[in-house]
Amino acid sequence: MSAVPSQQPGGALLNLRGLCVDYVSPNGIARAVNEVSLEIHSGETLGLAGESGCGKSTLAFAISRLHKMPALISEGEVWFNGQDVLRMGDEQLRKFRWSEVSIVFQSAMNSLNPVISIGEQMSDVLLAHRDLTPAQALERSAELLQVVGIHSSRLSSFPHQLSGGMRQRVVIAIALALNPKLIIMDEPTTALDVVVEREIMEELYELKEQFGFSVLFISHDLSLMGEISDRIGVMYAGKLVEIGTAEQIMSHPTHPYTQGLLASFPTIHGPKVRLEGIPGSPVNLLELPAGCAFQARCPHQTEACLQAVPPLEPVAGRQVACWNAGRAA
Amino acid sequence: MSFIARRLTFYATAFFLAISFNFLIPRLMPGDPVDALFAGAMGKMDPSQMEAVRAMYGFVDGPIWEQYLSYLVSVVNWDLGPSVLLFPTPVTEVLMIGLPWTVFLAGTSLFLSVLIGILSGTYAASNRGRWFDSIVPPLTMFISAFPYVVSAMVVFFFLGLKLKWFPLSYAYDPELDPAWTWEFISSVIKHSTLPMLSMVVVGISGWLFNMRNALINVLGEDYITMAEAKGLTPWRVMLRYAQRNAMLPVMTAVSMAVGFVLAGSLFTEVVFNYPGLGNLMLKAINARDYPLIQAILLLIVLCMLAANFVADLLLIWLDPRLRGK
Amino acid sequence: MDASVTGKPALPESGAKARPERQKKRFHRIRGFFHGNPPALIGVGLMVLMIVACSLAPVLAPFDPERRVARPHEAPSAEHWLGTTRSGRDIYSQALYGGRTSLAVAFGSGAIAMTIAVLLGMSSGYFGGKVDEWINFFTNVVLVFPQVPLLIVLAAFLGQVGPPVIALLIGLTAWPWGTRIIRAQTMALRYKEFVLAAEVMGERRWRIILVEILPNLISIVGGGFIGVVLYALLSQAGLEFLGLGDPSAVTWGTMLYWAQNNSSLFTGAWWDVFTPATIIAVFGGALALINMSIDQVSNPKLKTGPHLRIWKQLSVKIERQRSQS
Repeated sequence: MSAVPSQQPGGALLNLRGLCVDYVSPNGIARAVNEVSLEIHSGETLGLAGESGCGKSTLAFAISRLHKMPALISEGEVWFNGQDVLRMGDEQLRKFRWSEVSIVFQSAMNSLNPVISIGEQMSDVLLAHRDLTPAQALERSAELLQVVGIHSSRLSSFPHQLSGGMRQRVVIAIALALNPKLIIMDEPTTALDVVVEREIMEELYELKEQFGFSVLFISHDLSLMGEISDRIGVMYAGKLVEIGTAEQIMSHPTHPYTQGLLASFPTIHGPKVRLEGIPGSPVNLLELPAGCAFQARCPHQTEACLQAVPPLEPVAGRQVACWNAGRAA
Repeated sequence: MSFIARRLTFYATAFFLAISFNFLIPRLMPGDPVDALFAGAMGKMDPSQMEAVRAMYGFVDGPIWEQYLSYLVSVVNWDLGPSVLLFPTPVTEVLMIGLPWTVFLAGTSLFLSVLIGILSGTYAASNRGRWFDSIVPPLTMFISAFPYVVSAMVVFFFLGLKLKWFPLSYAYDPELDPAWTWEFISSVIKHSTLPMLSMVVVGISGWLFNMRNALINVLGEDYITMAEAKGLTPWRVMLRYAQRNAMLPVMTAVSMAVGFVLAGSLFTEVVFNYPGLGNLMLKAINARDYPLIQAILLLIVLCMLAANFVADLLLIWLDPRLRGK
Repeated sequence: MDASVTGKPALPESGAKARPERQKKRFHRIRGFFHGNPPALIGVGLMVLMIVACSLAPVLAPFDPERRVARPHEAPSAEHWLGTTRSGRDIYSQALYGGRTSLAVAFGSGAIAMTIAVLLGMSSGYFGGKVDEWINFFTNVVLVFPQVPLLIVLAAFLGQVGPPVIALLIGLTAWPWGTRIIRAQTMALRYKEFVLAAEVMGERRWRIILVEILPNLISIVGGGFIGVVLYALLSQAGLEFLGLGDPSAVTWGTMLYWAQNNSSLFTGAWWDVFTPATIIAVFGGALALINMSIDQVSNPKLKTGPHLRIWKQLSVKIERQRSQS
């Protein structure tokens, strides 16, 4: 292992360098996040796309060190706002969580404690980090609910008594409670119908304008991501295969996987085009082939792809990890 | 119908069925149990008393439904007949001699088993990957299969007979008179140690497993991850988020365990000659004291239904999802 | 690279070529059950050992278990490996022969109870509606009854009951647990597409239940079966211990009964008690371990596996490296 710098390299808000997350399973050790390096700047929205199981959520959890057994962060560094997250002590980490980075989970129903009230779940995070009385915390919770458009009488309700959209708003309100610098949104609208999804996305956009936080937006829905992200990163089998501005990725993808992803989404305008998917199924992380992980499903696979893993390199103004990037565009 | 009303109706029906069962059994078994009853009494009963027993059982002239009604009436009046064994004491009085001791033994054992089981189960679930969780659950699983009879005998032999650490029979020193004195109370505690120990050792395993598995399941839920992500203190996450949810299936199990523990205590009492319902049951069986046997069954059923009901109330209090809108 | 591959998983081939594939899969699944699972290995190993030993009783037992062959209460020796009872009978032979009866009763009860459970549970789960309501109600009532005291009362009224009757009694009272679980699983499967498809195709109801749904319940039925066998073994021992069994029969439970009646512990003849006690405990323990392993197969999170220890070691190592650099 190379010498670890004692200060955050570069000036970004979040800096991941060579991050690796492993899962210890009865059948071997699977590398779910494979040497990923990326940055998120203040006030920016970074979208992270990829199939289920490509490592996006695992990556996000690493930022707050939320992994439970049998996952562990085996290599790499996580720098946030000048702090070395991986070397924090327990109490320091506890204070760091939510006040600097908060998360909106995929299913609000599953991420809320079913047996305690909404009010208590909002107040406890305030009480854990700020010097407030319970009454003050409750007041602040009511204010937060107003921000997302929910009446404060709902503070005494339980999660199962709210509708799906309301629950998602509650979870967003909790995420805003401590005014964090980064909010991670892990597929926040996947469980909702399109109408509610549109409402929530618009509210999110307004809140971002109002409070100025950065967003790590994780989704498999590339078209949704294209609308609200500044930059987009694409992951496959735990590796970052392409990362660039939203415009670049959406209109001129260079990695074959990104191209395949975009080709899987029908457009409403324009002539009808035959939908192409990506052949094959996701690679088994316990049996990674030598060379590029995408080789079995790639229409442009060559000899070089079977030999070595392509590194992330600048091509056409963005970063791509492909031996044939220049040609496939 | 609200949840509680439904449960109460259910329990009332079950109790009713238990009474009917007690009514039917003597009539379905081979031979005439009333005759067998009198044979067992060995001439201690005179004709008028025999009539009283007959009447209690409803063996009066008339169609069967009249007999049934007459039996129901006696039960409601808490007249369960005279005991053959301790003639002419009514069965209800005999029960009252043994009931407090059984409740004390079974109740305290259950309480201790649950407490130790929950604490160790929590520890096992929170420290997976260490030796405790790898060895203790399978080991206690193995022990939990021992019947109470066996564990009672083992404890009886090693700690009682061989090492003579604790007394082997009776609820308290026969030379003492029951009184609220320290002397009496300490005697009670000493005499209950071995029987309770044999029951708790076998019982812990079940609770450890229950708690451990419930907690492991809960700890894998998303709301725990969110609670940790919120930067709440580990205590709060464990108690208010994890335990609060994991307790629900454990509480359900407690209600079902009451019956099992009561049944097991019967055997433990026999081995230790402890003066509870179990010992009474054995003597009643040997003397073919059917009124007493049936009354004990009825009493145990009542205890179980009551325990179940308390558990239902507890569940409503703990789980808001059951409260309805 | 063949770009015509559609990306869908290949359809399973039917016919003769698929047979060895399926058998290979079954073999792997069985192997997977035991791999890295010491409790399962120990449990099955012990169980098989004892079943084989008892089946071979006529070959292995040196003496006739019912004849007096030595002086009473002889300590274990070269000639009598496990000593003799109060009546001078060889305990080792008794253990082997007794095991045949005890295990036959236990497995017999299991079979009876699970058959009832499958019938009631599947009917309840598949047909739903009124059928389900009535069966469910009935199941709950029996469930809330204290099973062992019920058995005691029934046995007491029947006089002394031999092993076959005990098997019947236990089988007829132990089915509610299994019924509940089978009902829940059947309901979960009932509306799955493959069942609905079969119905639409006009397959007969009984065929759907037996051929489509039942194979998916095998692990639950197996687990339930083991559970009832365990319960039957213990209850049987309990009943016989209380003197409700047939004292002239040779079973593990009656061995305990005679040992208790002859005050073997007091007279120092501990082997009289310990042989049946240990055997029952060990066999019961083996069953419990198997049960636990079956549970873990259906819910792998609960496994106490070696990979968690590896994880722990790795985390500790990485922590140390980080704090040093």
